[in-house]
Amino acid sequence: VPYMSVKCIDVRKNHHKTKWLMPWGPNHCEKLKDFDEAVSRQIEANDIVFAVHIPLPSKEMSPWFQFMLFIMQLDIAFKMDNDLKENAEITLDVSLAYRDDMFNDWEEIAHAIEIRKLKCTFGSPKTLESEGRHYDCDFLPFMEIGSVAHKYYLINIRLPVNERKGINVGIGEVKDIRLVGIHQNGGFTKVWFAMKTFLTPSILIIMVWYWRRITLMTRAPVLLEKVIFALGISMTFINIPVEWFSIGFDWTWMLLFGDIRQGIFYAMLLSFWIIFCGEHMMDQNERNRLSGYWKQVGPIAVGSFCLFIFDMCERGVQLKNPFYSIWTTEVGTELAMAFIIVAGICLCLYFLFLCFMVFQVFRNISGKQSSLPAMSKARRLHYEGLIFRFKFLMLITLACAAMTVIFFIVSQVTEGHWKWGDITIQVNSAFFTGIYGMWNLYVFALMFLYAPSHKNYGEDQSNGDLGVSSGEELQLTTTITHVDGPTEVYKLARKEAQE
Amino acid sequence: ALSSVVALGANIICNKIPGLAPRQRAICQSRPDAIIVIGEGAQMGINECQYQFRYGRWNCSALGEKTVFGQELRVGSREAAFTYAITAAGVAHAVTAACSQGNLSNCGCDREKQGYYNQEEGWKWGGCSADIRYGIEFSRRFVDAREIKKNARRLMNLHNNEAGRKVLEERMKLECKCHGVSGSCTTKTCWTTLPKFREIGYILKEKYNAAVQVEVVRASRLRQPTFLKIKQIKSYQKPMETDLVYIEKSPNYCEEDASTGSVGTQGRLCNRTSPNADGCDMMCCGRGYNTHQYTKVWQCNCKFHWCCFVKCNTCSERTEVFTCK
Repeated sequence: VPYMSVKCIDVRKNHHKTKWLMPWGPNHCEKLKDFDEAVSRQIEANDIVFAVHIPLPSKEMSPWFQFMLFIMQLDIAFKMDNDLKENAEITLDVSLAYRDDMFNDWEEIAHAIEIRKLKCTFGSPKTLESEGRHYDCDFLPFMEIGSVAHKYYLINIRLPVNERKGINVGIGEVKDIRLVGIHQNGGFTKVWFAMKTFLTPSILIIMVWYWRRITLMTRAPVLLEKVIFALGISMTFINIPVEWFSIGFDWTWMLLFGDIRQGIFYAMLLSFWIIFCGEHMMDQNERNRLSGYWKQVGPIAVGSFCLFIFDMCERGVQLKNPFYSIWTTEVGTELAMAFIIVAGICLCLYFLFLCFMVFQVFRNISGKQSSLPAMSKARRLHYEGLIFRFKFLMLITLACAAMTVIFFIVSQVTEGHWKWGDITIQVNSAFFTGIYGMWNLYVFALMFLYAPSHKNYGEDQSNGDLGVSSGEELQLTTTITHVDGPTEVYKLARKEAQE
Repeated sequence: ALSSVVALGANIICNKIPGLAPRQRAICQSRPDAIIVIGEGAQMGINECQYQFRYGRWNCSALGEKTVFGQELRVGSREAAFTYAITAAGVAHAVTAACSQGNLSNCGCDREKQGYYNQEEGWKWGGCSADIRYGIEFSRRFVDAREIKKNARRLMNLHNNEAGRKVLEERMKLECKCHGVSGSCTTKTCWTTLPKFREIGYILKEKYNAAVQVEVVRASRLRQPTFLKIKQIKSYQKPMETDLVYIEKSPNYCEEDASTGSVGTQGRLCNRTSPNADGCDMMCCGRGYNTHQYTKVWQCNCKFHWCCFVKCNTCSERTEVFTCK
């Protein structure tokens, strides 16, 4: 929602107590049309307040909006003798207040003095002719709040000028301040919550079932099973609709918490892919420990740690000061860039490893496939099972990843709406829920299909005569899951036989 | 009680404004808060017109002296086309800006049209962006209400009004911001921003230079003017939506002439060395010019501070100015 600020005059001569200036409504402030008026009335810069009330008249904010994000745009006019300096910095004295009732007093939430860099370009030649034209300025990050617990918000911005300290000197002729507010649509939040509440128990149930399967076995769970289980846990962690609490409570750390939860899930998913590939290497190496994967998991850990630190710096500090942004200072920008670059390098490293491993697996598969007919039945089944379940996972993983990438591209290209006749479909929201549901299904399927089987376990392992009579679905499950359980037994048996 | 006072006030105000068409007066009475904004918008359009034509023989001077509403150029010329377009665009611009400032009550939430009749519910469910469509719609309702006579001029005016609004609409800028996990681009929000009105002025000035002459096609039965076509032999093309159109050639605006609405260039300042329209030869239509010598005193070496602090030296210089005879 775009908001245009209203220029108010602070008529009180002594600024000892903060009073809030309203842009409109019953006791709105004394308005100023433009600054020529201010010159003639000899009003000082410090007495001019840009006031923005959120939301617009006859509306109110609701906790369903989840978060608020504000962007500031400055309208700066060109004037020959009041030019914008290179690398000008603007100092803002901002304060934010709230109230839940139209007639209550405003309560302060935050007050800060912020410095923002101006990045502006001027399209026309800087001559007397084009005086009055406006600069084209990049928008500036202004504010971010992780919860919308109140009905009305008020922002007051001052641009204090101090010539001696060089504050707000050479910022050109600031004509207007515009803010753009972004928040999540209430409808989307409701659909999202409903989805989460529905998905949590389903993932939870399959997790319990999966864990029961593992404990039913006589051996300790292998690494792959543990990882799948951990993936389930992190999915549940994302799913648990703790956001319901944000409707009732003013928890501003919800955004940060959400980021952390997503981060954990991504890290888990990436580790799972690596370990899954490793376990299907079929090169008889013993890898059943996490330490065997340090090379691959290391980058994930470093990368997610970097992103975590970055996020803490940005959103963590915003808990205290909603106007803070790491990108506004020189050092902050460099630091942030460093974190992101390190994380990016880690990600690239990871994908190199992953591709290499997948390649290795495929090479081994083709090697094994050529020698398959010569093997004994049990061994053949074992390898066929391995190959089948690897290919199956590759397929669905690729499908899911492709869907996600397509979604991402589409959402970047379209502007969020597709018009089909009169019905406007919000593609973005639909895609979001779709993708989220898809990854849930992915984890669900993973746990369901890759759970170790306890059936036919005792008597069938020697002849490998697996669930012939059972249905197709069960056959699939048993074939692909059986192998993982008895792998160690097979190995031992083979070694003994060879000896 | 309060609303009746407001209504009474609105009645008085609306009846006092000169130059309103009956339907405009009705709109004024139903939306008294809007009339101020509309007035500002129209004024903004006229100011822009005067800025754009400050060096021309015709300098928009006839407009906006008594009232911002209702004055018009008698001749259906390019200049008339420009004033209509810029006023319509100005009203739409001002209404849209006032909406985002919160100065207008019940501004359209653009989602209203999508089936959320309860505004409060619609806002909570889908949010909204107070957008240009409301401003354009308002401008259409108000500015176009002036055209009551059914003649060729009406068609021309309506076309130019629409062209002005269309130019404004096309110049709306789309800006986006990413705000996904840790500020990544997984989620992106886009919104439209109003262009600066000066920019619209420059574009319309270009359109003015490229304006097309049209003539009226009358429907066969009632001989009513129904639509416009580009005036060319053997052409049955309609003008483009964003083109400014005119039906009559412009007068030369040299002499004062009440019948064409020209105020003449007598007494206008001109530039002796310029070969362009502001040069004395062009401006004074060959009547010659007077030269005054005087000592010009102005403020120089100014030091500006935002917003309203100016410290200047006073400089003086002997200069001469030229005014048309």
